[in-house]
Amino acid sequence: MDVFEAIKGRRSVRKYKKEPVDRELVKKLLDAAHWAPSGGNIQPWLFIVIEDPKLLDVIRKVSPGYFGEAPLAILVCSNKEKAYKVGGTLGRDYLTICDCAMAVQNMLLAAYALGLGTCVVKSFSHTAVKELLAIPDGIEPELLVIVGHPDQVPKPPPKVPLSEIVYLNKYGEKFPSLEG
Amino acid sequence: MGAAKPSGDDYLFEIAVFLATSALNCIDEPPLYGPFRLLDALSKIADLPKYAPCLKEDPFLQRIKAIVDEKKFLVMYNAEEFRKAIDEIVKMFAEELKRRYLEGGR
Repeated sequence: MDVFEAIKGRRSVRKYKKEPVDRELVKKLLDAAHWAPSGGNIQPWLFIVIEDPKLLDVIRKVSPGYFGEAPLAILVCSNKEKAYKVGGTLGRDYLTICDCAMAVQNMLLAAYALGLGTCVVKSFSHTAVKELLAIPDGIEPELLVIVGHPDQVPKPPPKVPLSEIVYLNKYGEKFPSLEG
Repeated sequence: MGAAKPSGDDYLFEIAVFLATSALNCIDEPPLYGPFRLLDALSKIADLPKYAPCLKEDPFLQRIKAIVDEKKFLVMYNAEEFRKAIDEIVKMFAEELKRRYLEGGR
């Protein structure tokens, strides 16, 4: 699939079929994720694949931003201690978040190319998720990626036109001939 | 999620967990997520009779739930329309209150 097709076609899916997600596809998503760029090559990410239906249901209960009943979720965590050792406070406080976000975007695009739907959730209880998944101190849950076969795909959301957010050379200077 | 339909007690507990986790998350989330979570809670509460047979399904609340579920995601991309949708919902509640308690329509 053309990368631009994936970028523009991907949506945040909030309604899924019950059909399980094949493990081989899950592996492909994880592989795509860990090929993301990483500041200082720290690679602070850790991935917890949640496919146990009971556990997933409990995670959904403590995640107000989790919609739909997808058969799988991947919790993307960052290793704050590792990031601090290599990248200091910048690494621990900022790069971990940037890196995990880039890994997640890779995962979303790969999922779309494989015919899967995804939704990124930040609205979950960190305290509860850490407890439920036995996540030790020093490891921080960053984003929860819901994965499944889409049952309903939302329309594209409105986007701020590029002409309003892109400048040329200096802040405020128009970049000519930009369209949405 | 693949499990058996929850009992009324379980469903009530689920709503309670949703409210508690939402309360914590709302401290740091965008301000409009507060109303968003409340609407979502309304949607969940409207379904309570499906799990607790001692309660009777309320067709009005089911109508409200359908509107909430259709409109709640406006919060992500159109704050003004989201606000209008809540305003409409509250108007519907006011009309229903009038019908039920002032005009003897129940």
